[in-house]
Amino acid sequence: MAVWKRESPSALSPVPESNHPAPSKRPSDSKRTTATTMHCNMVTSALPGCFQCPQPHFRQKGSKRLSNVMTSSDRRCVFPPKMADNLPSEFDVVVIGTGLPESIIAAACSRSGQRVLHVDSRNYYGGNWASFSFSGLLSWIKENQERTDPCEESSTWKDLILENEVGIPLNKVDQTIQNVEDFCYASKDSPEDVEEVGALSRMSTLAISSEVVEEVSITSEAEKETLPSEDQSLGSDSEEMHPKSVAQHDAECTAGKDGVETTSPGEKDCDSVIPNLLERENSESASMTEAADEPRKITYSQVVKEGRRFNIDLVSKLLYSRGLLIDLLIKSNVSRYAEFKNVTRILAFRDGRVEQVPCSRADVFNSKQLTMVEKRMLMRFLTFCLDFEQHPDEYQAQKECTFSDYLKTQKLTPNLQHFILHSIAMVSEVNCCTIDGLKATQRFLQCLGRYGNTPFLFPLYGQGEIPQCFCRMCAVFGGIYCLRHSVQCLVVDKETRRCKAIIDHFGQRISANYFVVEDSYFSEKICTRVSYRQISRAILITNGSILKSGSDQQISILTIPPMTLGQPPICLIELCSSAMTCMKDTYLVHLTCSSIKTAKEDLEPAVGQLFSEATEAESEGGGEGLKPQILWAVYFNMRDSSNINRASYDNLPSNVYVCSGPDGALGNDCAVKQAEAIFQEMFPQEEFCPPPPNPEDIIYDGDGSQPEDPGFGNLSEDKPETAPEKSTEEKEEPAEELHEEKGHN
Amino acid sequence: MAGGERGAGGGGGGGGGSNDSSSSVSGASESREHLFKVLVIGELGVGKTSIIKRYVHQLFSQHYRATIGVDFALKVLPWDSRTLVRLQLWDIAGQERFGNMTRVYYKEAVGAFVVFDVTRGSTFEAVSKWKHDLDSKVLLPNGSPIPAVLLANKCDQKKDSGPNASQMDQFCKDGGFVGWFETSAKDNINIDEAARFLVENILANLKAFPNEENDVGKLKLDSDTLKAESKFQCC
Repeated sequence: MAVWKRESPSALSPVPESNHPAPSKRPSDSKRTTATTMHCNMVTSALPGCFQCPQPHFRQKGSKRLSNVMTSSDRRCVFPPKMADNLPSEFDVVVIGTGLPESIIAAACSRSGQRVLHVDSRNYYGGNWASFSFSGLLSWIKENQERTDPCEESSTWKDLILENEVGIPLNKVDQTIQNVEDFCYASKDSPEDVEEVGALSRMSTLAISSEVVEEVSITSEAEKETLPSEDQSLGSDSEEMHPKSVAQHDAECTAGKDGVETTSPGEKDCDSVIPNLLERENSESASMTEAADEPRKITYSQVVKEGRRFNIDLVSKLLYSRGLLIDLLIKSNVSRYAEFKNVTRILAFRDGRVEQVPCSRADVFNSKQLTMVEKRMLMRFLTFCLDFEQHPDEYQAQKECTFSDYLKTQKLTPNLQHFILHSIAMVSEVNCCTIDGLKATQRFLQCLGRYGNTPFLFPLYGQGEIPQCFCRMCAVFGGIYCLRHSVQCLVVDKETRRCKAIIDHFGQRISANYFVVEDSYFSEKICTRVSYRQISRAILITNGSILKSGSDQQISILTIPPMTLGQPPICLIELCSSAMTCMKDTYLVHLTCSSIKTAKEDLEPAVGQLFSEATEAESEGGGEGLKPQILWAVYFNMRDSSNINRASYDNLPSNVYVCSGPDGALGNDCAVKQAEAIFQEMFPQEEFCPPPPNPEDIIYDGDGSQPEDPGFGNLSEDKPETAPEKSTEEKEEPAEELHEEKGHN
Repeated sequence: MAGGERGAGGGGGGGGGSNDSSSSVSGASESREHLFKVLVIGELGVGKTSIIKRYVHQLFSQHYRATIGVDFALKVLPWDSRTLVRLQLWDIAGQERFGNMTRVYYKEAVGAFVVFDVTRGSTFEAVSKWKHDLDSKVLLPNGSPIPAVLLANKCDQKKDSGPNASQMDQFCKDGGFVGWFETSAKDNINIDEAARFLVENILANLKAFPNEENDVGKLKLDSDTLKAESKFQCC
């Protein structure tokens, strides 16, 4: 297969510069023409909406500055400028939603030569897989708290479909998030006047940047000046002092009380603020003097100001180093867009204490908490688990009982049983059978050592990067992206029962052969037989690690066993600033469990055991100071649709494929499997995400042999097919080396 | 993250060999090699791809297609007797028409060209939008914006109506551009000069804010990072 071969040349020719619609290959019937003309009329007013930002903002801020330059010399320019060209009306595949499975499918389709349109009604990538800066998260929270009931569905599409067609309206409002409650515990010294530095408040992308530049330079100066004091705090004893002195300092700090009183849930005075440089400078000089001989006390305004350092994931997941996602990233070379860090510690929570679990051989032998006997027991058992299938006699008899009971029959101390059950196998005490427990332990052990001493990787800048990596790949192969682009309905042919087009929010009809839809876009009408599970989530910003150690840059995972029977275990992931997910001197903590009640009810008891609220520490004079303090927290429930069978949706056309939102599991296998299954169903003959050619192997044909269409040529038949083919062959070799190396490990 | 040596990383996996770009060594006598990720942004049809192809492949054609299958082009630039600069020029892909760039594209870039077409005023108006999008999505490790050079492309077709030089200077100052050039990919005007100018700015940043060695423990999932660490069983 030629790598470059694209079945339909027209996808490659950019739309002509004028506002005329893209030439249609088909003879257009009358209805079609109407639709196109309509779009054409809407172009001037509607197209800026295609952009990330509404046009009023641009007019206010942008036009003023631009006119300084432009008015005298070039009066022809009228505002708003044309910013986007018409969207073509014909694709092979339309993908709705930019979560992980949809993005993988979009990349795979684009890679195999399909013309892909990938849209999302939200103004950010990733759907429920997204990550946000602090201000971005605040807007997300606000959006979800203030969400009005699913409004009247617009029915303009009804005029745009033909007699032999029927429309399936799609949701306008995302209803997958519930019970959002946020709390601020950090002191709000100057709550009214802070804004994230260079904030991309979503609505102001068009704003002119000079303001931003000024703000940025101020912070960078501040950073330079505070640097020495941070160096001082690197000593090990000052690190141990950290929580206590912060607590004391907190008590002294009267300003902190404001923060205490204003921590009512749902309070949100923070995201509608106006930058005030003067005030900011003041607060900064104050914090600089504080920093002189104490570890920095983090205030709410600092969190807001450094908000861009945060990349806060809505879902908290890790990549198993031998999981499907890692394999796919490497195979497709999408891995080139991402960087990772190893999870550095596996933790356990037992008798109210957090301890590190030794899991690699070196860990076991270096462990100070295990006795010699325990070390031998653990080694023996783990070695057995690695190839337990070879020793059926060791577990056959207990096949039917639970893994926790099985562990009791092995020569293991209660301590070790706890480690293995909760931190290594990470399975339930009550309903996981022996075989599943052994398999989970084996999987954990097999993932060890590929990249480091734990089985897990975390993507720098957050899990939300991963869908975007696949989107970039899709775009590189010609996929077209539109955020803030909602779809009114799917158009289904009454006779063939196949979906033939979508009608978007401009009323433009976009036809395609395949449609991939994330399930949150489905309206209740077609989900009447569907019942969902829920995931409970908490996200905390804290001032210290749950387990202090030599380095303050640790990425840790902790499974908190259920406190009472019937509760789900909670998975906690603590991220440090070098994971590029939070500002210096803070930690980002994610808690996840399957829901019984609301997220807060499910997770708050565990949070209370591990963390203190800034308020508590103050009143108790630092007695609680050993626990890290929560500066800010949010709880919410997220819908888990991963178990929904496609058949439970009413009347879906066969060429509409459904992707689910994130599942509650730690890894990403579910999303990858789903994406691959859907792609194979759509294109059984095509390879799923083969490696792209090396950019350096691409040969440009600069001979200008194409006859017509100056400016942008169509992709004509004289594409240099030989060259790219050669490049794939060349690619084969490194890929195989890679494979061998893998096996070699 | 700092400096960009690691930044853009892995020139296309196993084949490229651009992973070997060893970070700058401070020893005076040693030769240095830098890998810089540079973005080329601007409206559709302003000549971004033409500029890249002219600069990297010494080619110009009227008939470029939309950019397919190409992440970036690599230009190796012998800077001085001791310094080799590898420039990864990242073209914007199919997202460009609607301006929804992924962060992956912007991430860890250390410089940018913002391109407009002198024959089309609307593309100049969009320059500020692009610059703002750029500044909102990527910063140098020290928190300042990455250096951006404004390119007034297709100057071979220039009419008299555009802004004059002093207006352009003022525009750059207001907009936070480090400078501007009139370029023509067709006639190969000023493209090398603009690139050298940008690299000078990138190198100056690198000098002012040297690598913090924040890179410890970062992993790229390339073949060379699959180091054979002792796995549990193999001991």
